Amino acid sequence: MSDPIEPQAPGEPEVPAGPYVYDYAASPQRQIAAPKTVPLPGLRAYLAEVAAQQAADEAKWKKMQADYETAKAKAEAEGKEPPKPPVKPVPRKDDTDMKTPWPQEARDPDLLRLQSLLGDRVEEAFEQAGELTCQVKKESLLEVLRTCRDDAELKYEMLADHAGTHYPAAKDFAFSLVYHLTSVSRRKRLRIRILVPEGFEPESACSVYPSANWMERETFDMLGVRFKDHPDMTRILCPEDWEGHPLRKEYPVVGWGQRDIDFRDDRAGVLMRIAMQKAGQMGINLKQP
Amino acid sequence: MFKSEELEINLGPQHPSTHGVLRVKLRLDGEVVVACTPVIGYLHRGVEKICENKTFFQGQVWTDRMDYVAAISNNLGWVEGVEKLFGIEAPRRARYIRTMLTEMNRIASHLLWLATHALDIGAMTVFLYAFRERELLLDLFEAFCGARLTTTAFRIGGLREDLPPGFIKQARAFQEVFPDRLEEYETLLSENRIWKKRTVGVARINAEDCIALGVTGPVLRAAGVPYDIRKAFPSAAYAEMDFEIPTRPEADTYARYLVRLAEMRQSHRIIQQCLDGLPEGPVMAKIPKILKSEVNEVYHAIEAPKGELGYYFVGEKGGLNPYRMHVRAPSFVNLQALPKMIEGRLLADVIAAIGTLDVVLGEIDR
Repeated sequence: MSDPIEPQAPGEPEVPAGPYVYDYAASPQRQIAAPKTVPLPGLRAYLAEVAAQQAADEAKWKKMQADYETAKAKAEAEGKEPPKPPVKPVPRKDDTDMKTPWPQEARDPDLLRLQSLLGDRVEEAFEQAGELTCQVKKESLLEVLRTCRDDAELKYEMLADHAGTHYPAAKDFAFSLVYHLTSVSRRKRLRIRILVPEGFEPESACSVYPSANWMERETFDMLGVRFKDHPDMTRILCPEDWEGHPLRKEYPVVGWGQRDIDFRDDRAGVLMRIAMQKAGQMGINLKQP
Repeated sequence: MFKSEELEINLGPQHPSTHGVLRVKLRLDGEVVVACTPVIGYLHRGVEKICENKTFFQGQVWTDRMDYVAAISNNLGWVEGVEKLFGIEAPRRARYIRTMLTEMNRIASHLLWLATHALDIGAMTVFLYAFRERELLLDLFEAFCGARLTTTAFRIGGLREDLPPGFIKQARAFQEVFPDRLEEYETLLSENRIWKKRTVGVARINAEDCIALGVTGPVLRAAGVPYDIRKAFPSAAYAEMDFEIPTRPEADTYARYLVRLAEMRQSHRIIQQCLDGLPEGPVMAKIPKILKSEVNEVYHAIEAPKGELGYYFVGEKGGLNPYRMHVRAPSFVNLQALPKMIEGRLLADVIAAIGTLDVVLGEIDR
């Protein structure tokens, strides 16, 4: 079940022979727009992006100045009036109440303590929107969680939530898995994040936080990430024989299509034919698995 | 003469006491439950997938359909989560109105819980009493936003409209009658011998197990842990409100009943403070017509009537819809504790345990 499913090419659907209409263009929900970016929040990526943006702005400004110089020299040579000097563009100010939270350096004592305890197992630690994020190496997940729970200064007793995100556009990983820990006694929250490639089986957190049991089953069901040493690695929300993992980005919103319907009583095939025709007009391929 | 083999039975998925379509596989030794496996997913609609393909404004409508008896709480979690993602702060008046409506919804949800839980156990009368008061609250919701159940009450950045004329009066009328009505339920149940026999000492789960299993809400507070997200991580206007966290040490079904009743009293108190101290001013912050997110991830949790309701958003640069949306549904996590509560207990207690967890399957299966 963990085999990745080949994404259906939206442009060239397999058209079965027969008098049915399979108009995929008429059914926009069937089209899959694969994401092109990797929206993985992080301080390093943000700083790199800001630096790149600044460099691009600077280059643009340099070019504007150079263009002005040449235009001015040309105008002088021709004896015309010199052009207007360029104005450095200032970022536009909008008067909304929005203050976009950008990633910031880790200053919280918990993050600093984690960094000192775990050393190079911490890949990145930052704060954003008042939330603490600590990205760790995928092999040392269990150890990190145990540290968070047992350390006397951290005491994150409860695993509040676990979720995963699919990043098909990323090169060296496919999923980010987050563990939202809550310290009931200290009233703090912490997010532990790991990045896993396709096929990698991270360790199950069930031995540290028993509440991870169903959450990891949901992640497996929805994304197809299997967990090592999980007591019951089965689907939880979808039926057992479901094909594909719905929250992957290559999965269309309306599904891969309906499964073959067994019309046992329909000896003459009348109902079947009507159903196929109706489905064909709606752009649904009943023959698709 | 006597057979000693174990019997496997199915409770649900179509059973009135499962409050939806929950299937519980039970292995019985006589009348004692040996093993219990909840089976869920019968109501799975793929809300997370759908919301990934809807804009931030459209996705909120789907949150009504998750915990349909506490739609306003779900709305609050969604709008505050999105506001956190974008860095928007709603005006103070809007936050007060949000707090008030969420507390009303908490009372409505607890009333529905009380009604159905008592009905499961066999106390029919409370059902009629509780629905009478719930009707008053639904009328208030209808006056505010036109809908009684699927409210979509709030908007990102504040509220769509201010309170309608006459709302305050109607709310004060409710405030007048509600404490007496609460006492009516108490006279019916609190010292009722049958009720106590069915609930005292039933479906125990202690604080350590609750925290290990991630159980939150009244179930955790009835185990003696004063953990309430309204106090621990206050949002909306809860930081300005004066209220207490009711707890009980017994950790059984009866304790949860008492905690929920006390919570209704506290909610009543909060509504009164909101009504008295309602500030003037705008109800909508200045936000752009089209919200385009930046690369960011937030987890925002609020105290829903069932426990910690969390929304996890991942934003994409320039994205109109969330790149990933995940709901931490309180009932989903709380239901994991069901085997722990009833294994080794009697079959009849299973019904009480499902009722006392206050699960809503629309939220579990999403």
